[in-house]
Amino acid sequence: MPPVLPDFSNSVKLKYVKLGYQYLVNHVLMLMLIPVMAAILIEVLRLGPEEINLLNSLHFDLVQILCSCFFIIFIATVYFMSKPRSIYLVDYACYKPPVTCRVPFATFMEHSRLNLSSNPRSVEFQMRILERSGLGEETCLPPAIHYIPPTQTMETARVEAEIVIFSAMDSLFKKTGLKPKDIDILIVNCSLFSPTPSLSAMVINKYKLRSNVKSFNLSGMGCSAGLISIDLARDLLQVHPNSNAVVVSTEIITPNYYKGNERAMLLSNCLFRMGGAAILLSNHRSERWRAKYHLVHVVRTHKGADDKAYRCVFEEEDKEGKVGISLSKDLMAIAGEALKSNITTIGPLVLPASEQLLFLLTLIGRKIFNPKWKPYIPDFKQAFEHFCIHAGGRAVIDELQKNLQLSAEHVEASRMTLHRFGNTSSSSLWYEMSYIEAKGRMKRGDRIWQIAFGSGFKCNSAVWKCNRTIKTPTDGPWADCIDRYPVHIPEIVKL
Amino acid sequence: MSKSTNVSKSFHKILAHFFPFMISYSATFNHQSMVLPEQEHLVYNIRLSSVGPGRVTGSDVVHDLSGLDIAMKLHYLKGVYFFTDQAVEGLTIRQMKETMFYWLNDYYITCGRIRRTESGRPYIKCNDCGIRFVEGVCDKTIDEWLELGDDSLHNLLVYHRAIGPELSFSPSVYLQVTRFKCGGISLGMSWAHILGDAFSASEFINNWGRYMARLKSNGPLTLPKSLDNKIEKPHDPNQFVKEPLSAKQVNPVGDLWIAANNCKMETFSFYLSTLHLSSLQEKILGEDGRKRISPFSSVCAVIWQCIAKVREGFEPQIVTVCRKYPNYDNNVLSNSQIISAIKADFSVMEADLKKLALLMADDQGLDERNKIEAAVEKDDGVTDYIMYGTNLTFVNLEDANLYELELKGQKPKFAYYSIQGVGDEGAVLFLPGPPKGSNTENEGKLVTITLPEDQVLKLKTELQRTGLLPTELE
Repeated sequence: MPPVLPDFSNSVKLKYVKLGYQYLVNHVLMLMLIPVMAAILIEVLRLGPEEINLLNSLHFDLVQILCSCFFIIFIATVYFMSKPRSIYLVDYACYKPPVTCRVPFATFMEHSRLNLSSNPRSVEFQMRILERSGLGEETCLPPAIHYIPPTQTMETARVEAEIVIFSAMDSLFKKTGLKPKDIDILIVNCSLFSPTPSLSAMVINKYKLRSNVKSFNLSGMGCSAGLISIDLARDLLQVHPNSNAVVVSTEIITPNYYKGNERAMLLSNCLFRMGGAAILLSNHRSERWRAKYHLVHVVRTHKGADDKAYRCVFEEEDKEGKVGISLSKDLMAIAGEALKSNITTIGPLVLPASEQLLFLLTLIGRKIFNPKWKPYIPDFKQAFEHFCIHAGGRAVIDELQKNLQLSAEHVEASRMTLHRFGNTSSSSLWYEMSYIEAKGRMKRGDRIWQIAFGSGFKCNSAVWKCNRTIKTPTDGPWADCIDRYPVHIPEIVKL
Repeated sequence: MSKSTNVSKSFHKILAHFFPFMISYSATFNHQSMVLPEQEHLVYNIRLSSVGPGRVTGSDVVHDLSGLDIAMKLHYLKGVYFFTDQAVEGLTIRQMKETMFYWLNDYYITCGRIRRTESGRPYIKCNDCGIRFVEGVCDKTIDEWLELGDDSLHNLLVYHRAIGPELSFSPSVYLQVTRFKCGGISLGMSWAHILGDAFSASEFINNWGRYMARLKSNGPLTLPKSLDNKIEKPHDPNQFVKEPLSAKQVNPVGDLWIAANNCKMETFSFYLSTLHLSSLQEKILGEDGRKRISPFSSVCAVIWQCIAKVREGFEPQIVTVCRKYPNYDNNVLSNSQIISAIKADFSVMEADLKKLALLMADDQGLDERNKIEAAVEKDDGVTDYIMYGTNLTFVNLEDANLYELELKGQKPKFAYYSIQGVGDEGAVLFLPGPPKGSNTENEGKLVTITLPEDQVLKLKTELQRTGLLPTELE
C-alpha cells in the first residue's frame, strides 16, 4: 500500500472494506454462479411449464447414452485413481518425563559450576542465558546428566533412548490399539545419537515387529527432522496401500551435553531437554472415522547451498578438543530467510484467494511501479486456526510472532511448551499440538501449521486439518498441569 | 543502625583478609578424627548427583533463619545408619532416589541455598536446588567395618563438605549410600546445624523411611507464613546485656563456614549396656537416688569429673547441656533444643558424683536460648558464633528416635551420630544403643566423646579407672 494509507488502517471503515473484499474474492466462483442461476430461473419461468418437456426435446439414442455413461465412469475412475491417498494421523503420544528427572534452574547452575570449575565466567554466561530463556522449573534432563560429572557413555545414552522411545510407543499402542505386528513402516529420527544397530532396530527388537517392516533411521537432520520423517512416511504411504506407519521423533541428550567452555556451544546445554513423541500415520480408509488429523501439505525448504546457512549450526571440536554444537550469531537472520523461502512456497497452497491476489498485486506494483512499496506480508491467520512453531528458543518464537504478525494466543502453545518441556527438538511440535488439544481449542475443520527449523539450514512446514473435534480432558503430557497454563513468563527470571 | 552494620561488616571483611593464613592454618584442624590416607581407598566409586523436590516450590520462596539457627551455622551433624542385607534386599539406588523426590516436597527448605541479605544476615532461598546424593562401594562387610572400631572411619561413609565459599552453590544436606560386600548398606547424612538440631535431623531422615514404606504421602504445599519460633522472643533485645555462657563469638569466617580449632580433635565412642548403667547408678546414687536422676546425668557426671582430672588446673567449671525441647513439634525443622549452662562453684575433681549428677538433672541450669538469640540479633546475625565446644558440652540424644528409620520394617543394625565443628572444650554425645531384639528396654547407650587429641589417651585411662570404660579396649 502507498505510505499514505497506513493511517487509515486503524479505522473501522477500512476493516469492513477488508472483510468485504475478502468475502468477495474468496467466494468469487459462487458469486458468479448466482447471476447464471438467476438467468436460468428467469428463462425457465418465462418459458412456462408446458413448454418444458426435457425428455422429448433431447433426442436420445441408446448408444449415445451408453457412451456418455462410460465416459463419465472413465473420468471418475481416472480422477479417483490419480488422487493422492489421504494420509491420516490416527493419534500420537508424547513422552512425559518423570519428576525424578526434573532440573530446576538452581540445580542446573550448581551442576554447571561444579562441572566447569575451571571457568566461572562460563557459568555466569549460562546463568544469563537461563534467565532469559523462557524455560520453566519443570524441564527434565536424562538421569545420566544428573551426575557430577555427567556419566556420558554409550550405555547411558541407550538407556535414555529406551526410556523415551519405549515409553512413547507404549503410550501410542495403548491409545490407538495398534498391534506391533501391524506396523508396516517405521521411521525413527534422532539427530545426535546414532548407534549401530540403529534406534529403529532397537524398536524392532523390543516390540518384535515383522521381518518385512520397512524401517528407516534419520540422523543428523536437526530439529526439523520430525517433519522430514512425516514427509517420508507420506511418500511411502502413497506407494504402499493399506499400511500403517509409525514415526518416532526424539533427541537423545546424554551424549551431547557439552563439557567445555565455548559460549556458542554452551547455549544448547541450557535449552535442550528430554522429550520424544511417537506418531501413527495410516492410509487405511477405515481410519477416516477415528483419525485426529489428515495431512494436507508438507513443504520443505533447504538453504544449505548458502555457505553461511550451512555453517550456522555446526557440530565441531572446540579449542580443547571437546565436541559441541556451535550456534552462530546470525542464526536469527538465516532463520528469517529460510522462513521467507518456505512461506513463498506454502503461501499459494494455503492462502485464500483474497490474500494471494493482494500479494500478487503488491508484487506487480513493486516490480513495475514503485520498488519502495513495502512487501505485503500475507495474513496467515486466515489460512490457519492454529500455529505450532518449533520451540527452539524464546528468540525464535518472538521472531516468528513478529514476522507473521501473530497474536499472543497463536504462539501460546509454543511458549508454554518451551516453558514446561524446554526445547525437545523434533518432538516439540507434538507437545504443542497436545497443548492445543488439552486446552479444548481443536475443532473439526481447524487447520494447523507446524513450522520447524533445523541445522543445514532447513525450514520445514506441515499443514494438518483436524478431522474430528478433540474432547477434553485429554490424556497426554499436559494432563496434570494444563490448568496451570498459560503462565506469564517474565522477560528475565530472577535466579 | 545501618551505618554501624556497614562498618562492622567491612571490619569483618578486613579481618578476614588480614588473617587468611591464620584461618587456613586453623582450618586444617577442623577435620576432627581425620582419616589416614591409606584408609581412604576403603570406600571407592564415589558418584555425586542431586535429588530435589518433585514439586515446584515457587519463585521467591524464602525461609528466614532465627538468631539461634545462625548461632549454630558453623556446626554440622554427621549421622550414619547401617542396614543389613535383609533390610535392603532388592532395593536399588533408583528406587531410593525416586522416593526422595516425593519426600523432599515436604522438606523443600533443606533443598534451598544460603543467601545473604544486604546487611549480611543469612537466609535460605528455597529454590529447589536439592540435596547432594552420593553413592559409594566398600569391599568389607558391615560386621568387618564395625569391628575396625575406629570412629574416624565413619567419616568415609558420610560425604561432608562445609558450606561455602560459594554459599549459593553449597548444599546443606548430603546423603551417602554405601554398598557393602555383604549386601547391606550404610546411609550417611551430613546435616548443616543451621537447618535444625539433631532431633529435627533425625525426624527428617525417619520420614524418608516412612515414604519408602509408603506410610506417608505428600500433602498440599504449605509455605512458611511467618517465623515459627519455639521460644518467645525477648521483648527488649537489650534486656540480656550479658553474653551467653554456652555460645561464644569466633573470628569471622567469611563465607566458608568452618569452625576453627587450635588443636586437632579426636572422637572415640564406647557402649554402655543397661546392666552396666544400672550398676553405675547404684554406685553413685544409692538405692533411692536412681528415681530422681537419669542415667544421662550420672554418666555425664562421671565424665565431667574424669575430664576435670585430666585437665587438672584447668578443670571445666561451666558445662553446657543440650536436650530435647519437651514441646518439640516434629513437623517443623528447628533449632529448638534446650541449651542450658551449668555452673559448678566447687571443685569438680574432688566433688561427690551424686552432687554433680544432681546438678545436671533436667530442671537445673539456665536455659540460654533467649540469651543466644539476643546476642546474635544484636548485630543482625553478622557475627559468627559456636555453641558446641564453647564449654564442655553434653548432648542428650536419647530421645532423638535414631532407630526409627526403618527399611522394609527393619531397624538399622547400628546408628552413630557425631558433630563436626566442635570447639576446643569438647563435646559428649549420649546416643541410644542398637536395639537388641524387640524390647527397647534392653538397648543400652552409646557414648561418643570429642576432645583435643592430646587429652584422649589420658581420659581413656581415667574412664577405665572409674569403671565406665571396659578395660579390654580395642
